[in-house]
Amino acid sequence: MITSPRKHIIVSVTAIVLAVVVAAVLATVLGTASERVLTVFFISLIAVVGMGVYSGNSGILTFGHLSFMAIGAYAASLLTLPAQLKIATLPKLPEWLATTEMGLLPATLIAVLLTCAVALLIGLAIGKLEGSAAVISTLGLLIIVHGIAIGWRDVTRGSQTFFGIPREASLWVAAIGVIIALIVARLYRDSISGLRLRAGRENAIAASAVGVRIRRERLISFVLSAALMALSGALIAHFLGAISPKKFYFTDTFLLLAMLIVGGMTTVTGAITGAVTITIVIEVLRRFEGGFTLAGWDMPAIFGTTQIGIGLIILFAMFRKPDGLAGLKEWEERLFPGRPGTKAAPDIAQSAKAEPLTATGMTMQFGGLVAVNDVALTLNPGEITGLIGPNGSGKTTLMNMLSGVLVPTKGRFYQGTTELSGLVSHEIANRGIARTFQNIRLFDTLSVYQNVLVAALSTNGGKNAHGRAQAALTRMGVADHADEDAGTLSYGDQRRVEIARALACQPSLLFLDEPAAGMNRDETDNLTETLRALTRDLGLGILLVDHDLKLINQLCDRIAVLNEGHLIAEGTPQDIRNNPVVIEAYLGPNRQD
Amino acid sequence: MKKTLLASTMVVAAALAGPVSAEALKIGLATAQTGGLAGYDGPVIEGLHIAVDEINAAGGINGKIMIELIEKDVRSDAAQTAIAVQELADEGVSVLVLPCDADPSLAAIGTVTTAQIPAISTCASSPTLPMIGGDYMFANFPGDNVQATVSAEWAWAQGHKSAYIIYSPDTQYTTMPLYFADVFSALGGTMMGQDTHTIGQQDFSAIATRIAALNPQPDVIMTSSYEPDFPSMLKALRAAGVTAQVIGSDGIDSPTTFSLGDVGEGVVFSTAGHATEGSPLADFNAKYEAVTGNASETVFNAVGYDLVVVVAEAVKAAGGSTDPVAIRDAMAELENVRGATSLITYKGTNGMPVREVTLIRVKNGARELVGQPSPTASLIPPARMQ
Repeated sequence: MITSPRKHIIVSVTAIVLAVVVAAVLATVLGTASERVLTVFFISLIAVVGMGVYSGNSGILTFGHLSFMAIGAYAASLLTLPAQLKIATLPKLPEWLATTEMGLLPATLIAVLLTCAVALLIGLAIGKLEGSAAVISTLGLLIIVHGIAIGWRDVTRGSQTFFGIPREASLWVAAIGVIIALIVARLYRDSISGLRLRAGRENAIAASAVGVRIRRERLISFVLSAALMALSGALIAHFLGAISPKKFYFTDTFLLLAMLIVGGMTTVTGAITGAVTITIVIEVLRRFEGGFTLAGWDMPAIFGTTQIGIGLIILFAMFRKPDGLAGLKEWEERLFPGRPGTKAAPDIAQSAKAEPLTATGMTMQFGGLVAVNDVALTLNPGEITGLIGPNGSGKTTLMNMLSGVLVPTKGRFYQGTTELSGLVSHEIANRGIARTFQNIRLFDTLSVYQNVLVAALSTNGGKNAHGRAQAALTRMGVADHADEDAGTLSYGDQRRVEIARALACQPSLLFLDEPAAGMNRDETDNLTETLRALTRDLGLGILLVDHDLKLINQLCDRIAVLNEGHLIAEGTPQDIRNNPVVIEAYLGPNRQD
Repeated sequence: MKKTLLASTMVVAAALAGPVSAEALKIGLATAQTGGLAGYDGPVIEGLHIAVDEINAAGGINGKIMIELIEKDVRSDAAQTAIAVQELADEGVSVLVLPCDADPSLAAIGTVTTAQIPAISTCASSPTLPMIGGDYMFANFPGDNVQATVSAEWAWAQGHKSAYIIYSPDTQYTTMPLYFADVFSALGGTMMGQDTHTIGQQDFSAIATRIAALNPQPDVIMTSSYEPDFPSMLKALRAAGVTAQVIGSDGIDSPTTFSLGDVGEGVVFSTAGHATEGSPLADFNAKYEAVTGNASETVFNAVGYDLVVVVAEAVKAAGGSTDPVAIRDAMAELENVRGATSLITYKGTNGMPVREVTLIRVKNGARELVGQPSPTASLIPPARMQ
């Protein structure tokens, strides 16, 4: 379930428990006021990591998560509110609810489950949205739930105070809550689902092409984060004893978001750093707000200093640390780099689906432009097929259609006798067709190993994923870079990692879109050798798009030529070199060979 | 170097702790200096400062007990109020001042009750607040039910026999007309119906048409809605041909109400005070202008002044004690304390003060005093929990 080294998890969990317990003990020693500050801090931190579970891993900023906090708060409060008070203040409650009165623990559990159910429905609805639409939809969620909380007077008392909630959320209750929340968030980040989601955050198209079902992973994290928000909501309600809808609206949304953004969305370390930083700044500044005397100088009271302080920190963070104070790595990942060695890497297993891919009538129309027009192509296992043509002739479009990135306007393609047309990219990846991209699409902030591991985990049911990942890295000669961030590698290494990632899918067919682009002659020759070995050893079929005709001629068994969307020639390199149509259309009159 | 460090640490510590004097009454302010509630708490705190400075300049309560204010901004947030109140309790304050809203005030109850420190909300008018808050929670404003009783009694005395109410269930305050209906019915009046709206609704034509269609027309229409709803509501009613007497509440005690022209003429509303010549409120307004250089624009300045007057009287009644429990007990027994806005009585109440309510009529775009009657105690409806 967990993809990161066990050591990281053990260190992290131990530190979380220790830090929370030490802080709680210290606060107890310092007195009731400190206990209260820390209790509120703990409860806020639950909400911050809750938002981080979704926003951090999916990369979609959320403004709407306080609505789950509201649902959790009201649901739990309705269950713990003394029955007598419920009858007096909420006379229109259904009888079963009015007479229910339970403890904080069962009430919180029920509230969390209810919130999960709501989040599942909402997540299914807004999960289809991408980019800024996804962000704005969360804003809509906040406003709608706020409106419901105000309007549903029979249950929530409307915008009036919902009071009389038993004050049972003591410091230690909050401490247990925050320990659970931090551990859940930390484990999720490095769970299979969390890793896939982070890959999707880095590059959605590439993640999909290695078998990741991004929407499903998003939904999982959405529901999980809603559960944490509900926990936070239930606790804050039982700390304050009185809530109203405005507690779960813009003001608190921005405060909690500020904590998350200042600290760094993508890590639990970041959430903690942000919450601690902002809380300390607030606590320091607010003590000076009321005016003070320093060395005979009377400072007047300047209220609002804390808000200005928070504003300045956010500005500082945006200018100097756009990824947040904690950056993109957990502290234990920085402190103990490395991962479990699956050093004895067996070679990549041969894919079982060694069947030819047959495409007929492939057509892609973008508005009035026909990018690919009625192309038929067969790709055989163990054979390297080159796809060439002038710029804009439809090579990448054809490859995109065959890998499910684009849905063809017309045409079908089959693997053996199984139809693949109509399948989406992650399904095609699971049928043994893997690919690389013309403009490199790596998961930049993930390590090289994680890049490849995601692919292995998301295809073939994730069987022997570590072994496959290691084997793919070794095959492509990038195993030494396994612990480095993919985005920091040289261009040539990035190309190789991308191929390794595709290999980890255990494909029977590999699509390479300009794999030699940007490589020097030595690197290209090296690549030629590697690719040849892949077909030889594994029986892999390769579809190769490149402008480097030397590479194509050396490597390919067969070449297909596209021009203006039409397949104008197909044959051995020898045939193609001598084909007058190709010479005229593509190589031109100044042919040099 | 070490000495400097020590000295500066002590200065900072002293600055944080505030000057300590043997004969001092510490009042802790956990109020909203920023955020949504600042607009309500601000004027009250301004008036409160004037009262404290005045008392201290005269040598303190009883000529010896100086008042020391410890102020904390709760940023209009309930959790911050709970924290700030705990800190103030730890600093040993004798009296707490809480925000104008029920949310944060109720969030502070736990600490208030445990620490046994009397707490006064700056201007919350919901009569449920002290009821939920318990023995240590006091309000500082005429309760909604008291205001409604005064206007209902006035309407009945004017010979009005039938009434119609328009209210918003969105907040406790805007449900004041329900109290009005209780009292008006108890007096023998006829309630001809009621309508509800949401806060910020703005379009009242449907309600106006419904009322205009009534036959006979109601004598009185009562509402506690305020800007921007009230002006729209009034215009819609008059445009539909409804000529009934309109009664409002302190929420419309703003310059807008007096600038509505013909539409606003004759509207009567209840509020906390009126500065007739030589009245304590006029004295206060003069004082305010002398201190700040500006004319007081709202009666809430005087309400803040009264808060300190009440505390000072309670301390005196407790025999000069600064013990919180003694002050609470004395405060609960205060009777006819002369404040800037009114005579104030806590005796016999649960913490919601009995104060005079002032009735104002809009006449020629100006303020006309209708009267400052005290409500009949037996008519005041009990606080509604819903």
